[in-house]
Amino acid sequence: MIDVENLVKTYSGGVKAVRDVTFSVGKGDVVGFLGPNGAGKSTTMRILSGFISPSGGRVEVCGLDVTKDSLGVRKRLGYLPESCPLYPEMRVGEYLRYRAELKGVAARHLKKRVTHVMGLCDLEAVRKRSLGKLSKGFRQRVGIADALVHNPDLLILDEPTIGLDPNQMRQIRALIRDLASEHTILISTHILSEVEATCDRVLMLNEGKIVESGKLSELEKRWAGQCRVKVEVRAGEEELRQELQALEGVESLQIETLKEFCRAELCMEDSRDPREELAERIHDRGWSLRELHREGRSLEDVFVELTGGGQE
Amino acid sequence: MIRFLTLWRRELGAYFSSAVAYILASFFLAVMGLGFWYIASARLITGAAVYDLFRALYGGVAWVAVLMVVPVLTMRSFAEEKRSGTLETLLTAPVSDWQVVLAKFAGVFTLYMLFWLPTLLYFPMLNRLNGGELPFDRGALAATYLGLALIGAFFLSVGLFLSSLTRNLIVAAMATFAVLMLIFLAGFLPEISPVPFIQEASRPFSVVLHMLDFSRGILDSRPVILYLSSTVWMLSACTRSLESRRWRS
Repeated sequence: MIDVENLVKTYSGGVKAVRDVTFSVGKGDVVGFLGPNGAGKSTTMRILSGFISPSGGRVEVCGLDVTKDSLGVRKRLGYLPESCPLYPEMRVGEYLRYRAELKGVAARHLKKRVTHVMGLCDLEAVRKRSLGKLSKGFRQRVGIADALVHNPDLLILDEPTIGLDPNQMRQIRALIRDLASEHTILISTHILSEVEATCDRVLMLNEGKIVESGKLSELEKRWAGQCRVKVEVRAGEEELRQELQALEGVESLQIETLKEFCRAELCMEDSRDPREELAERIHDRGWSLRELHREGRSLEDVFVELTGGGQE
Repeated sequence: MIRFLTLWRRELGAYFSSAVAYILASFFLAVMGLGFWYIASARLITGAAVYDLFRALYGGVAWVAVLMVVPVLTMRSFAEEKRSGTLETLLTAPVSDWQVVLAKFAGVFTLYMLFWLPTLLYFPMLNRLNGGELPFDRGALAATYLGLALIGAFFLSVGLFLSSLTRNLIVAAMATFAVLMLIFLAGFLPEISPVPFIQEASRPFSVVLHMLDFSRGILDSRPVILYLSSTVWMLSACTRSLESRRWRS
Protein backbone atom coordinates (compact mmCIF):
# COMPACT_ATOMS: atom_id res chain seq x y z
CA MET A 1 0.00 0.00 0.00
CA ILE A 2 2.90 2.39 0.82
CA ASP A 3 6.42 1.95 -0.52
CA VAL A 4 9.00 4.51 0.50
CA GLU A 5 12.59 4.19 -0.64
CA ASN A 6 15.46 6.47 0.42
CA LEU A 7 13.10 9.37 1.05
CA VAL A 8 14.81 12.71 1.64
CA LYS A 9 13.20 16.08 2.36
CA THR A 10 15.30 19.19 2.70
CA TYR A 11 13.47 22.42 3.49
CA SER A 12 14.54 25.81 2.23
CA GLY A 13 17.43 26.93 4.40
CA GLY A 14 18.99 23.48 4.21
CA VAL A 15 17.08 21.94 7.12
CA LYS A 16 16.93 18.18 6.54
CA ALA A 17 13.58 17.01 7.91
CA VAL A 18 13.71 13.48 6.49
CA ARG A 19 16.98 11.63 5.83
CA ASP A 20 17.06 8.51 3.70
CA VAL A 21 13.90 6.89 5.07
CA THR A 22 12.84 3.52 3.70
CA PHE A 23 9.75 1.58 4.79
CA SER A 24 6.69 -0.12 3.45
CA VAL A 25 3.15 -0.61 4.71
CA GLY A 26 1.15 -3.59 3.52
CA LYS A 27 -2.58 -3.80 2.82
CA GLY A 28 -4.61 -4.01 6.00
CA ASP A 29 -1.75 -2.97 8.29
CA VAL A 30 -2.22 -0.48 11.11
CA VAL A 31 1.15 1.19 11.47
CA GLY A 32 2.18 3.70 14.10
CA PHE A 33 4.59 6.40 13.13
CA LEU A 34 6.26 7.16 16.40
CA GLY A 35 8.72 9.90 17.17
CA PRO A 36 9.33 13.01 19.23
CA ASN A 37 8.24 16.42 17.99
CA GLY A 38 10.29 17.47 15.00
CA ALA A 39 11.28 13.90 14.10
CA GLY A 40 9.93 14.23 10.56
CA LYS A 41 6.62 12.39 10.99
CA SER A 42 4.37 15.15 9.67
CA THR A 43 6.76 15.94 6.82
CA THR A 44 6.72 12.29 5.72
CA MET A 45 2.93 12.21 5.93
CA ARG A 46 2.62 15.43 3.94
CA ILE A 47 4.79 13.88 1.25
CA LEU A 48 2.67 10.72 1.24
CA SER A 49 -0.49 12.81 0.91
CA GLY A 50 0.96 14.76 -2.03
CA PHE A 51 0.89 18.12 -0.24
CA ILE A 52 4.66 18.61 -0.55
CA SER A 53 7.22 16.96 -2.79
CA PRO A 54 10.20 14.92 -1.67
CA SER A 55 13.70 16.25 -2.30
CA GLY A 56 14.87 12.75 -3.14
CA GLY A 57 13.91 9.11 -3.12
CA ARG A 58 10.88 7.23 -4.37
CA VAL A 59 7.42 7.26 -2.80
CA GLU A 60 4.63 5.02 -4.04
CA VAL A 61 1.15 5.03 -2.52
CA CYS A 62 -1.41 2.49 -3.73
CA GLY A 63 0.98 1.61 -6.54
CA LEU A 64 1.21 5.19 -7.81
CA ASP A 65 4.17 7.54 -7.67
CA VAL A 66 3.23 10.56 -5.54
CA THR A 67 5.29 13.00 -7.59
CA LYS A 68 4.07 11.76 -10.97
CA ASP A 69 0.44 10.98 -10.15
CA SER A 70 -0.37 13.07 -7.11
CA LEU A 71 -4.06 13.37 -8.05
CA GLY A 72 -4.39 9.61 -8.43
CA VAL A 73 -2.82 9.10 -5.02
CA ARG A 74 -5.10 11.68 -3.41
CA LYS A 75 -8.17 9.92 -4.82
CA ARG A 76 -7.13 6.75 -3.01
CA LEU A 77 -6.18 8.07 0.38
CA GLY A 78 -7.89 9.84 3.23
CA TYR A 79 -5.72 12.29 5.10
CA LEU A 80 -6.23 13.97 8.45
CA PRO A 81 -3.70 16.78 8.88
CA GLU A 82 -2.26 17.64 12.27
CA SER A 83 -4.61 19.90 14.32
CA CYS A 84 -7.48 19.07 11.95
CA PRO A 85 -8.11 22.41 10.23
CA LEU A 86 -11.78 23.02 9.32
CA TYR A 87 -13.89 25.89 7.98
CA PRO A 88 -15.53 27.30 11.12
CA GLU A 89 -18.51 28.82 9.29
CA MET A 90 -19.67 25.53 7.78
CA ARG A 91 -22.00 23.02 9.44
CA VAL A 92 -20.93 19.43 9.99
CA GLY A 93 -23.27 17.85 7.43
CA GLU A 94 -22.68 20.63 4.91
CA TYR A 95 -18.90 20.28 5.28
CA LEU A 96 -18.88 16.52 4.82
CA ARG A 97 -21.09 16.84 1.77
CA TYR A 98 -18.77 19.47 0.33
CA ARG A 99 -15.73 17.27 0.96
CA ALA A 100 -17.45 14.22 -0.53
CA GLU A 101 -18.28 16.19 -3.69
CA LEU A 102 -14.72 17.48 -3.86
CA LYS A 103 -13.37 13.96 -3.52
CA GLY A 104 -15.48 12.77 -6.41
CA VAL A 105 -18.21 10.80 -4.63
CA ALA A 106 -20.96 10.31 -7.23
CA ALA A 107 -24.07 12.43 -6.69
CA ARG A 108 -26.26 9.34 -6.26
CA HIS A 109 -24.04 8.02 -3.43
CA LEU A 110 -23.44 11.37 -1.76
CA LYS A 111 -26.18 11.25 0.85
CA LYS A 112 -25.50 7.60 1.64
CA ARG A 113 -21.76 8.12 2.14
CA VAL A 114 -22.18 11.23 4.27
CA THR A 115 -24.80 9.50 6.45
CA HIS A 116 -22.57 6.42 6.71
CA VAL A 117 -19.44 8.28 7.90
CA MET A 118 -21.48 10.44 10.25
CA GLY A 119 -22.85 7.27 11.80
CA LEU A 120 -19.40 5.70 11.95
CA CYS A 121 -17.89 8.72 13.67
CA ASP A 122 -20.93 9.35 15.86
CA LEU A 123 -21.65 12.78 14.42
CA GLU A 124 -25.43 12.65 13.88
CA ALA A 125 -26.12 14.65 17.03
CA VAL A 126 -24.01 17.57 15.79
CA ARG A 127 -24.97 17.37 12.13
CA LYS A 128 -26.31 20.92 12.02
CA ARG A 129 -23.80 22.49 14.38
CA SER A 130 -21.16 24.93 13.06
CA LEU A 131 -17.68 23.47 12.93
CA GLY A 132 -16.37 26.52 14.79
CA LYS A 133 -18.57 25.66 17.78
CA LEU A 134 -17.53 22.01 18.10
CA SER A 135 -15.40 20.58 20.90
CA LYS A 136 -11.92 19.37 20.02
CA GLY A 137 -13.09 15.75 20.18
CA PHE A 138 -15.90 16.33 17.71
CA ARG A 139 -13.58 18.31 15.45
CA GLN A 140 -11.24 15.32 15.30
CA ARG A 141 -14.20 13.09 14.50
CA VAL A 142 -15.23 15.40 11.67
CA GLY A 143 -11.64 15.27 10.40
CA ILE A 144 -11.67 11.47 10.45
CA ALA A 145 -15.13 11.39 8.81
CA ASP A 146 -13.74 13.68 6.11
CA ALA A 147 -10.78 11.36 5.58
CA LEU A 148 -13.20 8.43 5.25
CA VAL A 149 -15.97 9.99 3.20
CA HIS A 150 -14.78 8.74 -0.22
CA ASN A 151 -14.04 5.28 1.21
CA PRO A 152 -10.29 5.34 0.55
CA ASP A 153 -8.06 2.27 0.74
CA LEU A 154 -5.55 4.08 2.90
CA LEU A 155 -5.98 6.41 5.87
CA ILE A 156 -3.17 8.69 6.98
CA LEU A 157 -3.90 10.27 10.35
CA ASP A 158 -1.45 12.83 11.67
CA GLU A 159 -1.71 12.99 15.46
CA PRO A 160 -5.43 12.15 15.60
CA THR A 161 -5.69 12.46 19.38
CA ILE A 162 -3.55 15.53 19.98
CA GLY A 163 -5.11 17.93 22.46
CA LEU A 164 -7.93 15.58 23.47
CA ASP A 165 -8.91 14.70 27.02
CA PRO A 166 -8.52 11.05 28.12
CA ASN A 167 -12.15 10.18 27.39
CA GLN A 168 -12.02 11.69 23.93
CA MET A 169 -8.71 9.89 23.30
CA ARG A 170 -10.29 6.56 24.14
CA GLN A 171 -13.22 7.26 21.83
CA ILE A 172 -10.97 8.16 18.91
CA ARG A 173 -8.75 5.13 19.51
CA ALA A 174 -11.80 2.88 19.59
CA LEU A 175 -12.92 4.43 16.32
CA ILE A 176 -9.50 3.83 14.74
CA ARG A 177 -9.56 0.21 15.92
CA ASP A 178 -12.99 -0.20 14.28
CA LEU A 179 -11.69 1.26 11.04
CA ALA A 180 -8.67 -1.04 11.04
CA SER A 181 -10.78 -3.95 9.83
CA GLU A 182 -11.50 -2.25 6.49
CA HIS A 183 -8.64 0.15 5.90
CA THR A 184 -4.88 0.33 5.89
CA ILE A 185 -3.98 2.96 8.46
CA LEU A 186 -0.84 4.98 9.12
CA ILE A 187 -1.02 6.99 12.35
CA SER A 188 1.58 9.42 13.52
CA THR A 189 1.88 10.18 17.20
CA HIS A 190 4.30 10.81 19.98
CA ILE A 191 1.92 9.21 22.49
CA LEU A 192 3.24 5.72 23.13
CA SER A 193 0.09 4.33 24.68
CA GLU A 194 -1.73 5.26 21.48
CA VAL A 195 0.54 3.05 19.41
CA GLU A 196 0.18 0.22 21.92
CA ALA A 197 -3.60 0.62 21.85
CA THR A 198 -4.16 0.89 18.12
CA CYS A 199 -1.24 -0.38 16.04
CA ASP A 200 0.26 -3.71 15.20
CA ARG A 201 3.45 -2.30 13.73
CA VAL A 202 5.68 0.59 14.68
CA LEU A 203 8.05 2.83 12.76
CA MET A 204 10.16 4.92 15.12
CA LEU A 205 11.54 8.10 13.69
CA ASN A 206 14.15 10.37 15.20
CA GLU A 207 15.87 13.35 13.59
CA GLY A 208 14.47 12.35 10.22
CA LYS A 209 15.68 8.75 10.31
CA ILE A 210 13.95 5.48 11.08
CA VAL A 211 15.66 4.20 14.19
CA GLU A 212 13.50 1.13 14.79
CA SER A 213 10.65 -0.71 13.15
CA GLY A 214 8.71 -3.89 13.51
CA LYS A 215 5.76 -5.51 15.23
CA LEU A 216 5.24 -4.55 18.85
CA SER A 217 5.93 -8.10 20.00
CA GLU A 218 9.15 -8.20 17.95
CA LEU A 219 10.28 -4.93 19.47
CA GLU A 220 9.60 -6.22 22.94
CA LYS A 221 11.73 -9.30 22.26
CA ARG A 222 14.48 -7.37 20.55
CA TRP A 223 14.70 -4.74 23.24
CA ALA A 224 14.07 -7.01 26.21
CA GLY A 225 17.73 -6.60 27.20
CA GLN A 226 18.35 -6.91 30.92
CA CYS A 227 15.86 -8.92 32.86
CA ARG A 228 14.36 -7.21 35.91
CA VAL A 229 12.44 -9.21 38.44
CA LYS A 230 10.33 -8.05 41.37
CA VAL A 231 9.61 -10.33 44.26
CA GLU A 232 7.68 -9.87 47.53
CA VAL A 233 8.04 -12.51 50.25
CA ARG A 234 7.43 -12.85 53.98
CA ALA A 235 11.07 -13.08 55.08
CA GLY A 236 13.77 -11.20 56.92
CA GLU A 237 15.74 -8.68 54.89
CA GLU A 238 19.17 -10.23 55.47
CA GLU A 239 18.01 -13.77 54.81
CA LEU A 240 16.38 -12.67 51.56
CA ARG A 241 19.47 -10.71 50.52
CA GLN A 242 21.69 -13.77 51.02
CA GLU A 243 19.32 -15.99 49.08
CA LEU A 244 19.05 -13.58 46.15
CA GLN A 245 22.75 -12.87 45.97
CA ALA A 246 23.30 -16.62 45.68
CA LEU A 247 21.50 -16.54 42.32
CA GLU A 248 23.79 -16.61 39.31
CA GLY A 249 24.10 -13.40 37.24
CA VAL A 250 22.59 -10.86 39.63
CA GLU A 251 23.91 -7.47 38.68
CA SER A 252 22.13 -5.33 41.22
CA LEU A 253 19.77 -5.86 44.06
CA GLN A 254 17.52 -3.54 46.03
CA ILE A 255 15.48 -4.59 49.04
CA GLU A 256 12.87 -2.67 50.94
CA THR A 257 11.01 -3.82 54.05
CA LEU A 258 7.22 -3.52 54.15
CA LYS A 259 6.01 -4.61 57.64
CA GLU A 260 6.20 -8.45 57.56
CA PHE A 261 7.07 -8.56 53.85
CA CYS A 262 10.19 -7.64 51.97
CA ARG A 263 10.16 -6.37 48.41
CA ALA A 264 13.23 -7.01 46.29
CA GLU A 265 14.12 -5.84 42.84
CA LEU A 266 16.78 -7.75 40.94
CA CYS A 267 18.56 -6.72 37.84
CA MET A 268 20.22 -9.55 35.95
CA GLU A 269 23.40 -9.27 33.91
CA ASP A 270 21.70 -10.35 30.70
CA SER A 271 18.27 -11.57 29.64
CA ARG A 272 18.58 -14.57 31.98
CA ASP A 273 15.23 -15.19 33.71
CA PRO A 274 15.76 -16.28 37.35
CA ARG A 275 12.08 -16.68 38.27
CA GLU A 276 11.92 -20.46 38.21
CA GLU A 277 15.02 -20.91 40.37
CA LEU A 278 13.90 -18.15 42.66
CA ALA A 279 10.47 -19.70 43.16
CA GLU A 280 12.10 -23.02 44.09
CA ARG A 281 14.40 -21.35 46.61
CA ILE A 282 11.48 -19.48 48.21
CA HIS A 283 9.53 -22.72 48.37
CA ASP A 284 12.48 -24.56 49.90
CA ARG A 285 12.83 -21.87 52.57
CA GLY A 286 9.10 -22.05 53.31
CA TRP A 287 8.54 -18.34 52.79
CA SER A 288 5.16 -16.99 51.79
CA LEU A 289 5.28 -15.56 48.27
CA ARG A 290 3.06 -12.56 47.54
CA GLU A 291 4.45 -11.39 44.19
CA LEU A 292 6.94 -12.56 41.59
CA HIS A 293 7.06 -10.99 38.18
CA ARG A 294 9.43 -10.06 35.41
CA GLU A 295 9.34 -6.47 34.28
CA GLY A 296 9.52 -6.22 30.52
CA ARG A 297 11.00 -3.24 28.81
CA SER A 298 8.16 -0.99 27.84
CA LEU A 299 7.79 0.70 24.48
CA GLU A 300 8.39 3.90 26.35
CA ASP A 301 11.81 2.69 27.52
CA VAL A 302 12.73 1.78 23.96
CA PHE A 303 11.43 5.11 22.68
CA VAL A 304 13.37 7.12 25.26
CA GLU A 305 16.55 5.19 24.54
CA LEU A 306 16.30 5.48 20.76
CA THR A 307 15.27 9.10 20.63
CA GLY A 308 17.78 10.30 23.19
CA GLY A 309 15.15 11.41 25.69
CA GLY A 310 17.08 9.93 28.58
CA GLN A 311 20.19 11.97 27.94
CA GLU A 312 19.04 15.06 29.82
CA MET B 1 -16.09 20.49 -13.68
CA ILE B 2 -18.09 19.22 -10.69
CA ARG B 3 -15.09 19.83 -8.44
CA PHE B 4 -14.70 23.35 -9.83
CA LEU B 5 -18.39 24.10 -9.20
CA THR B 6 -18.16 22.63 -5.69
CA LEU B 7 -15.19 24.87 -4.88
CA TRP B 8 -16.83 27.91 -6.47
CA ARG B 9 -20.00 27.37 -4.43
CA ARG B 10 -18.01 27.07 -1.21
CA GLU B 11 -16.07 30.23 -1.97
CA LEU B 12 -19.25 32.21 -2.50
CA GLY B 13 -20.86 30.59 0.54
CA ALA B 14 -17.88 31.53 2.70
CA TYR B 15 -18.29 35.20 1.78
CA PHE B 16 -21.99 35.23 2.52
CA SER B 17 -21.72 33.25 5.75
CA SER B 18 -19.47 35.91 7.25
CA ALA B 19 -20.20 39.61 7.60
CA VAL B 20 -17.55 40.50 5.00
CA ALA B 21 -19.81 40.38 1.94
CA TYR B 22 -22.56 42.41 3.59
CA ILE B 23 -20.27 45.09 5.00
CA LEU B 24 -18.40 45.41 1.72
CA ALA B 25 -21.60 45.47 -0.31
CA SER B 26 -22.98 48.20 1.97
CA PHE B 27 -19.81 50.25 1.65
CA PHE B 28 -19.65 49.73 -2.10
CA LEU B 29 -23.27 50.66 -2.73
CA ALA B 30 -23.06 53.62 -0.35
CA VAL B 31 -20.07 55.04 -2.24
CA MET B 32 -21.62 54.39 -5.64
CA GLY B 33 -25.08 55.56 -4.58
CA LEU B 34 -23.85 58.79 -3.00
CA GLY B 35 -21.59 59.40 -5.97
CA PHE B 36 -24.44 58.88 -8.39
CA TRP B 37 -26.80 61.10 -6.41
CA TYR B 38 -24.23 63.90 -6.16
CA ILE B 39 -23.15 63.75 -9.81
CA ALA B 40 -26.68 63.36 -11.13
CA SER B 41 -28.08 66.25 -9.09
CA ALA B 42 -25.12 68.56 -9.86
CA ARG B 43 -24.70 67.80 -13.56
CA LEU B 44 -28.25 67.41 -14.70
CA ILE B 45 -29.09 70.81 -13.27
CA THR B 46 -26.33 72.27 -15.43
CA GLY B 47 -27.71 70.36 -18.41
CA ALA B 48 -24.72 68.04 -18.90
CA ALA B 49 -25.10 65.08 -21.21
CA VAL B 50 -25.74 61.60 -19.82
CA TYR B 51 -22.44 60.27 -21.18
CA ASP B 52 -20.75 62.97 -19.09
CA LEU B 53 -22.52 61.52 -16.07
CA PHE B 54 -21.35 58.06 -17.03
CA ARG B 55 -17.80 59.27 -17.27
CA ALA B 56 -17.89 60.98 -13.90
CA LEU B 57 -19.47 58.00 -12.16
CA TYR B 58 -17.62 55.06 -13.72
CA GLY B 59 -14.41 56.84 -14.65
CA GLY B 60 -14.22 58.60 -11.27
CA VAL B 61 -16.31 57.49 -8.29
CA ALA B 62 -16.11 53.81 -9.22
CA TRP B 63 -12.35 53.84 -8.61
CA VAL B 64 -12.85 54.71 -4.94
CA ALA B 65 -15.18 51.75 -4.52
CA VAL B 66 -13.05 49.31 -6.53
CA LEU B 67 -9.72 50.26 -4.94
CA MET B 68 -11.17 49.86 -1.46
CA VAL B 69 -13.24 46.75 -2.03
CA VAL B 70 -10.90 44.51 -4.08
CA PRO B 71 -8.14 44.18 -1.44
CA VAL B 72 -10.68 43.22 1.24
CA LEU B 73 -12.40 40.76 -1.08
CA THR B 74 -9.21 38.95 -2.03
CA MET B 75 -7.17 39.15 1.17
CA ARG B 76 -8.63 36.01 2.72
CA SER B 77 -8.59 33.83 -0.40
CA PHE B 78 -5.29 32.08 0.28
CA ALA B 79 -3.85 33.94 3.28
CA GLU B 80 -6.73 32.78 5.49
CA GLU B 81 -6.48 29.19 4.24
CA LYS B 82 -2.74 29.22 4.92
CA ARG B 83 -3.17 30.78 8.36
CA SER B 84 -5.84 28.35 9.51
CA GLY B 85 -4.22 25.30 7.88
CA THR B 86 -7.26 24.51 5.70
CA LEU B 87 -5.05 24.86 2.61
CA GLU B 88 -3.51 21.49 3.53
CA THR B 89 -6.98 19.91 3.80
CA LEU B 90 -7.98 21.50 0.51
CA LEU B 91 -4.89 20.57 -1.48
CA THR B 92 -4.75 16.99 -0.25
CA ALA B 93 -8.19 16.43 -1.78
CA PRO B 94 -8.06 15.24 -5.40
CA VAL B 95 -8.16 18.74 -6.90
CA SER B 96 -5.43 20.39 -8.90
CA ASP B 97 -3.86 23.68 -7.84
CA TRP B 98 -5.17 25.48 -10.93
CA GLN B 99 -8.71 24.26 -10.22
CA VAL B 100 -8.47 25.79 -6.75
CA VAL B 101 -7.10 29.07 -8.10
CA LEU B 102 -9.71 29.26 -10.83
CA ALA B 103 -12.56 28.45 -8.44
CA LYS B 104 -11.40 31.07 -5.96
CA PHE B 105 -11.14 33.60 -8.76
CA ALA B 106 -14.59 32.67 -10.08
CA GLY B 107 -16.04 32.98 -6.57
CA VAL B 108 -14.61 36.40 -5.84
CA PHE B 109 -15.36 37.63 -9.38
CA THR B 110 -18.99 36.53 -9.05
CA LEU B 111 -19.29 38.44 -5.80
CA TYR B 112 -17.62 41.51 -7.34
CA MET B 113 -20.09 41.48 -10.22
CA LEU B 114 -22.98 40.98 -7.80
CA PHE B 115 -21.89 44.22 -6.12
CA TRP B 116 -22.26 46.00 -9.46
CA LEU B 117 -25.63 44.46 -10.23
CA PRO B 118 -27.82 46.99 -8.33
CA THR B 119 -25.99 49.90 -10.00
CA LEU B 120 -27.44 48.77 -13.33
CA LEU B 121 -30.69 50.33 -12.14
CA TYR B 122 -29.24 53.83 -11.72
CA PHE B 123 -29.71 55.04 -15.28
CA PRO B 124 -33.05 53.40 -16.05
CA MET B 125 -34.31 54.92 -12.78
CA LEU B 126 -32.96 58.36 -13.68
CA ASN B 127 -34.47 58.05 -17.12
CA ARG B 128 -37.85 57.15 -15.65
CA LEU B 129 -37.71 60.07 -13.22
CA ASN B 130 -37.03 62.33 -16.18
CA GLY B 131 -40.02 61.04 -18.05
CA GLY B 132 -37.94 58.78 -20.32
CA GLU B 133 -36.45 61.73 -22.15
CA LEU B 134 -32.77 61.23 -21.35
CA PRO B 135 -30.65 60.12 -24.31
CA PHE B 136 -29.91 56.73 -22.76
CA ASP B 137 -27.20 54.77 -24.57
CA ARG B 138 -27.49 51.04 -23.92
CA GLY B 139 -24.27 50.36 -25.83
CA ALA B 140 -22.27 52.68 -23.61
CA LEU B 141 -23.79 51.05 -20.55
CA ALA B 142 -22.80 47.58 -21.82
CA ALA B 143 -19.26 48.75 -22.64
CA THR B 144 -18.95 50.36 -19.21
CA TYR B 145 -19.88 47.16 -17.41
CA LEU B 146 -17.61 45.13 -19.67
CA GLY B 147 -14.79 47.50 -18.69
CA LEU B 148 -15.65 47.17 -15.02
CA ALA B 149 -15.64 43.40 -15.37
CA LEU B 150 -12.31 43.29 -17.22
CA ILE B 151 -10.48 45.73 -14.96
CA GLY B 152 -12.11 44.09 -11.91
CA ALA B 153 -10.96 40.65 -13.07
CA PHE B 154 -7.40 41.89 -13.44
CA PHE B 155 -7.44 43.65 -10.05
CA LEU B 156 -8.93 40.59 -8.36
CA SER B 157 -6.29 38.33 -9.90
CA VAL B 158 -3.58 40.66 -8.55
CA GLY B 159 -5.22 40.42 -5.11
CA LEU B 160 -5.41 36.62 -5.30
CA PHE B 161 -1.75 36.37 -6.27
CA LEU B 162 -0.64 38.61 -3.41
CA SER B 163 -2.87 36.69 -0.99
CA SER B 164 -1.11 33.48 -2.07
CA LEU B 165 2.23 34.90 -0.98
CA THR B 166 1.41 35.41 2.69
CA ARG B 167 -0.53 33.96 5.62
CA ASN B 168 -1.28 37.39 7.06
CA LEU B 169 -4.61 38.91 5.98
CA ILE B 170 -3.60 42.48 6.72
CA VAL B 171 -0.37 42.13 4.75
CA ALA B 172 -2.33 40.66 1.83
CA ALA B 173 -4.85 43.53 1.89
CA MET B 174 -2.23 46.26 2.28
CA ALA B 175 0.00 44.83 -0.47
CA THR B 176 -2.97 44.54 -2.83
CA PHE B 177 -4.11 48.08 -2.06
CA ALA B 178 -0.58 49.42 -2.61
CA VAL B 179 -0.12 47.60 -5.94
CA LEU B 180 -3.58 48.56 -7.24
CA MET B 181 -3.03 52.15 -6.18
CA LEU B 182 0.24 52.19 -8.11
CA ILE B 183 -1.50 50.79 -11.20
CA PHE B 184 -4.26 53.36 -10.81
CA LEU B 185 -1.92 56.32 -10.29
CA ALA B 186 0.27 55.16 -13.20
CA GLY B 187 -2.91 55.53 -15.26
CA PHE B 188 -2.53 59.33 -15.00
CA LEU B 189 0.96 59.33 -16.48
CA PRO B 190 -0.28 59.98 -20.08
CA GLU B 191 -1.89 63.17 -18.78
CA ILE B 192 0.55 64.44 -16.19
CA SER B 193 4.00 63.21 -17.16
CA PRO B 194 6.23 66.03 -18.43
CA VAL B 195 8.20 63.52 -20.52
CA PRO B 196 6.53 62.91 -23.93
CA PHE B 197 8.05 59.42 -24.21
CA ILE B 198 6.49 58.36 -20.87
CA GLN B 199 3.20 59.91 -21.93
CA GLU B 200 3.11 57.82 -25.09
CA ALA B 201 4.55 54.66 -23.58
CA SER B 202 2.10 54.60 -20.69
CA ARG B 203 -1.02 55.44 -22.70
CA PRO B 204 -1.78 51.84 -23.85
CA PHE B 205 -1.56 50.67 -20.22
CA SER B 206 -3.57 53.42 -18.50
CA VAL B 207 -6.48 51.90 -16.58
CA VAL B 208 -7.89 55.39 -16.06
CA LEU B 209 -8.04 56.19 -19.79
CA HIS B 210 -9.33 52.71 -20.60
CA MET B 211 -12.19 53.10 -18.14
CA LEU B 212 -13.03 56.52 -19.56
CA ASP B 213 -13.13 54.98 -23.04
CA PHE B 214 -15.35 52.14 -21.87
CA SER B 215 -17.73 54.60 -20.20
CA ARG B 216 -18.01 56.49 -23.50
CA GLY B 217 -19.03 53.27 -25.20
CA ILE B 218 -15.68 52.84 -27.00
CA LEU B 219 -14.87 49.17 -27.25
CA ASP B 220 -11.26 48.74 -28.33
CA SER B 221 -9.93 45.19 -28.61
CA ARG B 222 -6.49 46.18 -27.27
CA PRO B 223 -7.49 46.89 -23.66
CA VAL B 224 -9.79 43.86 -23.74
CA ILE B 225 -6.85 41.65 -24.70
CA LEU B 226 -4.59 43.44 -22.23
CA TYR B 227 -6.88 42.79 -19.24
CA LEU B 228 -7.75 39.24 -20.25
CA SER B 229 -4.11 38.26 -20.77
CA SER B 230 -2.98 40.08 -17.59
CA THR B 231 -5.65 38.25 -15.60
CA VAL B 232 -4.58 34.88 -17.02
CA TRP B 233 -0.96 35.74 -16.29
CA MET B 234 -1.67 36.74 -12.70
CA LEU B 235 -3.74 33.59 -12.12
CA SER B 236 -0.89 31.50 -13.55
CA ALA B 237 1.52 33.27 -11.19
CA CYS B 238 -0.90 32.51 -8.35
CA THR B 239 -0.96 28.81 -9.31
CA ARG B 240 2.85 28.75 -9.43
CA SER B 241 2.96 30.42 -6.03
CA LEU B 242 0.66 27.72 -4.66
CA GLU B 243 2.72 24.97 -6.27
CA SER B 244 5.90 26.38 -4.78
CA ARG B 245 4.90 24.92 -1.39
CA ARG B 246 5.90 21.53 -2.74
CA TRP B 247 9.60 22.32 -2.89
CA ARG B 248 9.85 25.53 -0.82
CA SER B 249 7.99 24.69 2.41
